[in-house]
Amino acid sequence: MGAEYVLQMKNITKRYGETTVLSDVSLSVRPGEIHALLGENGAGKSTLMNVLFGMPVIHTTGGFDGEVLIDGEKASILTPNDAMNAGIGMVHQEFMLLPGFTITENIKLNREITRPTVLSRALHLKNMENLDMPAMRKDARKALDSVGMGLDENTLVKGLPVGYMQFVEIAREIDKKGIRLLVFDEPTAVLTESEAETLISVMKQIAQSGIAIIFITHRLDEVMAAADNITILRDGKLAATRETKATSLVELAELMIGRKGEAVVATTPRAQDASANIALSIKNLIVDMPGEMVKGVDLEVREGEILGVGGLAGQGKIGIPNGIMGLYPAAGEVKLFGKDLPLNDAANALRSGMAMVSEDRRGVGLLLDQSIEDNIAFNAMQINGDFLRKVLFATTKDGKKVRAHANEMIRQLDIRCTSSRQAAGTLSGGNQQKVCVARALTMNPKFLFVSEPTRGIDIGAKKLVLETLVKLNREQGMTIVMVSSELQELRSISDRIAIVSEGKVVDILAPDASDADFGLAMSGIKPTKGGEGAHE
Amino acid sequence: MNSHSKSQRIAFIALLAAAIVLIAGGIFGVVNRTSAAGEQMLSDMRLTALLTTAGEGSKEALVEAEVEAAREAARAAGGGLSEIKEAVAAAEAAAMERVANMTVEVDLDTVDTSALIPAVEDMLAAQRALGEQTDKDEAAYAEMMLAQAPAEDAAEEEILEEAPADAEAAMDMDMSEDEMMLEEEEPEVDMSGFVATEEMNALSAVVDEKFAGLSAALQGVSPDLSDAALETLRPTIESLLYQRGDTYETQYDRLNAYGNAGFTSWVTRYGDDLITVGVALALVAIMVFFAKPLLKALGVPRMIITCFFMLLCVLAVIYDLSLTTLLSNAVVRMAMNSVLVLAMLPGIQCGIGLNLGLPLGIVGGLLGGLLCIEFGFSGLPGFAFAIAVGCLIAALVGMAYGVLLNRLKGSEMSVTTYVGYSIISLMCIAWLLLPFQSDKLRWPLGRGLRATLTLDGAYRHILNDFLAFDIGSFTVPTGLILFMALCCFLMWLFSRSKTGVAMQAVGNNPRFAEATGISVNRMRIIGTTLSTMLGAVGIIVYSQSYGFMQLYTAPRQMGFIAASAILIGGASVSRAKISHVIIGAFLFQGVLTLGMPVANALVPQSTISETMRILISNGIILYALTKAGGGSRG
Repeated sequence: MGAEYVLQMKNITKRYGETTVLSDVSLSVRPGEIHALLGENGAGKSTLMNVLFGMPVIHTTGGFDGEVLIDGEKASILTPNDAMNAGIGMVHQEFMLLPGFTITENIKLNREITRPTVLSRALHLKNMENLDMPAMRKDARKALDSVGMGLDENTLVKGLPVGYMQFVEIAREIDKKGIRLLVFDEPTAVLTESEAETLISVMKQIAQSGIAIIFITHRLDEVMAAADNITILRDGKLAATRETKATSLVELAELMIGRKGEAVVATTPRAQDASANIALSIKNLIVDMPGEMVKGVDLEVREGEILGVGGLAGQGKIGIPNGIMGLYPAAGEVKLFGKDLPLNDAANALRSGMAMVSEDRRGVGLLLDQSIEDNIAFNAMQINGDFLRKVLFATTKDGKKVRAHANEMIRQLDIRCTSSRQAAGTLSGGNQQKVCVARALTMNPKFLFVSEPTRGIDIGAKKLVLETLVKLNREQGMTIVMVSSELQELRSISDRIAIVSEGKVVDILAPDASDADFGLAMSGIKPTKGGEGAHE
Repeated sequence: MNSHSKSQRIAFIALLAAAIVLIAGGIFGVVNRTSAAGEQMLSDMRLTALLTTAGEGSKEALVEAEVEAAREAARAAGGGLSEIKEAVAAAEAAAMERVANMTVEVDLDTVDTSALIPAVEDMLAAQRALGEQTDKDEAAYAEMMLAQAPAEDAAEEEILEEAPADAEAAMDMDMSEDEMMLEEEEPEVDMSGFVATEEMNALSAVVDEKFAGLSAALQGVSPDLSDAALETLRPTIESLLYQRGDTYETQYDRLNAYGNAGFTSWVTRYGDDLITVGVALALVAIMVFFAKPLLKALGVPRMIITCFFMLLCVLAVIYDLSLTTLLSNAVVRMAMNSVLVLAMLPGIQCGIGLNLGLPLGIVGGLLGGLLCIEFGFSGLPGFAFAIAVGCLIAALVGMAYGVLLNRLKGSEMSVTTYVGYSIISLMCIAWLLLPFQSDKLRWPLGRGLRATLTLDGAYRHILNDFLAFDIGSFTVPTGLILFMALCCFLMWLFSRSKTGVAMQAVGNNPRFAEATGISVNRMRIIGTTLSTMLGAVGIIVYSQSYGFMQLYTAPRQMGFIAASAILIGGASVSRAKISHVIIGAFLFQGVLTLGMPVANALVPQSTISETMRILISNGIILYALTKAGGGSRG
């Protein structure tokens, strides 16, 4: 060995077509250190790791610029196999284990120790050899011991607690020969607090044996507890590299969030009117939405405001509108304009004057095979009975009225299409989003949920969608709750911003609150008045 | 133009050039046929044939004469029987040898035909007059016989009826019964009592007279021809000149055997076929030229089936099958199947995909039909009664079926197939056990219902014959088409109603529908029930056109046939429109209707057509199902 760094990635730049997702990022990891890689969703963490592992997604899209050095020597990693041979391993967020196999079999999968047999000698065929179970068990035992797991190595993986599976996965990586760098991809996301603590101690133990660890996470407190050094990415750029000893939670939070350019839409800030009526009051809302669990949210939305709901992906912010609108099973107490709103009843939610623009445009938001006009008129027709007329004995769709309304919407929202008869599935993302907005507006709602309205759409469409929201709010007094992962967006149009972490509202901040406050809140840490972070 | 590749352009130009040449030749031929030149050509061929025949006849006459002479000579010499025989044999051999070396002079330029031509024309005219008179009188006689017949006929039918109701055969036939329907039953008339009328006798005397003239003319050309030989040759000559129902083509084919008549006459003979092939080539050329936009509009599967259908049309014309009759049959079959195909629509629209459990609805319709016959209803009220009862039964089982499908979401394809097959098997038992009393329904011996039931006394052809009219040999089944249009219109109306729109949303995107508070399960039940009810109506429409109701295993395949038709029409398992129903029903039934006769013509006198029928129909089904996943947009 002898080299100072086990891994050096220098000036990595990666473009997908026109968009630059990584620009001039460098990362250096010493042997035996825990190096945290910190960043919001979309900051470029996973792209960087894809480069490190030589994933096909990188090399089929034109490769990358910059160089990767392993033990001080230039390495060319073109396939995941190259990465494995170079001694780099990955502990996945989703477990890659075979449930019907024992722990030993899982650990040794495809790296089985074999003993020659008569047949294999005669035929010179390696795959005729016998498995050497005792040797494999011994190896597995050793690996399990090194992660501090006292479990019998012959246990089936099926039925193990989630935390244990994580350890089996780690044990498998450690068992690989010559492993010198392990990447943990958000390993604590699925673990309970005590499991997470154990994991961190195991990581430290592994690091002491000389294996370097890259620890990808967005939990600041874990970073402070575990890491030696921290590299922070922001918008595909290197924000900073810090020694843990020389930094603080607040600084990290600030670095992670940063000020991202100009506001998307310029609005005149309004004084908060704390005495306004409550439009929607949510008490102890629990929503069972896979990947976006809401675990007891209390929130009050004032009449006539734009309330932003922010937070990192998977923390439950998207579950709030989906739960209230009846798309996913929900429990709790919700009052709309003072009246009780029964949950789990989508039709009733719509009928009571709420509308929603879903984050899952193609999945929930649109009838892809049907025309723009039918998409726009659908809810109003089903819920309010608009756009209907009598033909003979039957009540049918009033095609003329639908078309006239759709054309009006197409003009207002500047939907780019050949005609209102075009299938919604053939539109671009931004225009599909506008169709979704148009459908919600056709309901004439008093209360509008907008979930990730700008996800996957270009900057021009983004601006138009946000401006439309502001216009609706200012001119028609529509109360809007906008859920978004883009903090900058939330800050540019919201009156207040609620930050959700781990299925709960951590804090409600003013749009001009400091980056540090937002960063900490996203990490699940409620800032106290002094601005100094504290564990909740 | 720029979007066309070089090879595409070359192919287009080559095809178009070939097409123009063929069409031009064909038009020349067809025009030639009716002009003096064509008549001249035929007349020349006729003379050649006549001369050949006469020449051969005179050779035989010569031999005969020599033999007779030898026999006389031997007898006169007073030899014994064996000597006479010997002498005759020797003379015959010698004569044969001489005759073999003789050439029959048939070259029209050298032979003097000045007397022959008018004689032939007179003879021909006389024969034609006689033939036409015979046709007329026979037709009149047949009509008279028919007018007397019905009473005894009906009685006869009562007895005959048990014959086709052979259960075993009916079960194996599945679809082949369809073809029976294609052959419109011609009323059989016993012509044995027909006697020649006076007019006919007069005309045949004229023919005799003219033949004498012709004989004289022929003897003028070949002097060896004896009167006796001519008398022997008379039937040959008569059939050579004229046969009843003669056309240009039949005359040509007959005369052509006596010597090749040359290219121009060939073009004249095959003029219409040339035009057909030319038009087909031109169509292919156009399709090559517009390949891209056509492919986009139709999608590959429909393009292929359309091409196949056109190929069959061309083959039908080339093999002298009546294309208009075939197309007329195709239209009838499209219309009679259309409601069954339409039944696929709500299934696809509500998201259960292809309703292969269609036999469930069909059984409902059959029960409606059975009850109609049992209670002795007939005509329009009977038809309406069958539909009402069928719909009622289908609605009830359809709802239960919908609930079943909701419980088993995600595996609709196998569930519907299973339901389709199992209801058929279940009903096979039920048909045997149901307590129907009518003698029209029950086997004459034993228990249970017959496999094939005639609808003659009930509502056979009630729609087909309503306002039906003929354009040439093309029969327009107005009532049937109107009923199909009515069903399609009602379906269209439903698809635009609030419920219909919601149902389509469920099929298109269930999560979207749920987000709007629409009950996905309820909509699926509505769609399934509607599909089942349309199945019931469909089988009643089908059977009224077919003329029979088939119980037991006959409806087993119908779900697949309907599913294939709508897929060929351009639908996918998740998306379908009414246009897909009509296009699909026409293409599927069109290919099937034309495929059989063409296959028969291609390989005559074989059992290939039955094999072909199975190959074609099951082949289309298989092909359509491979397209089930992703159809074309558009």
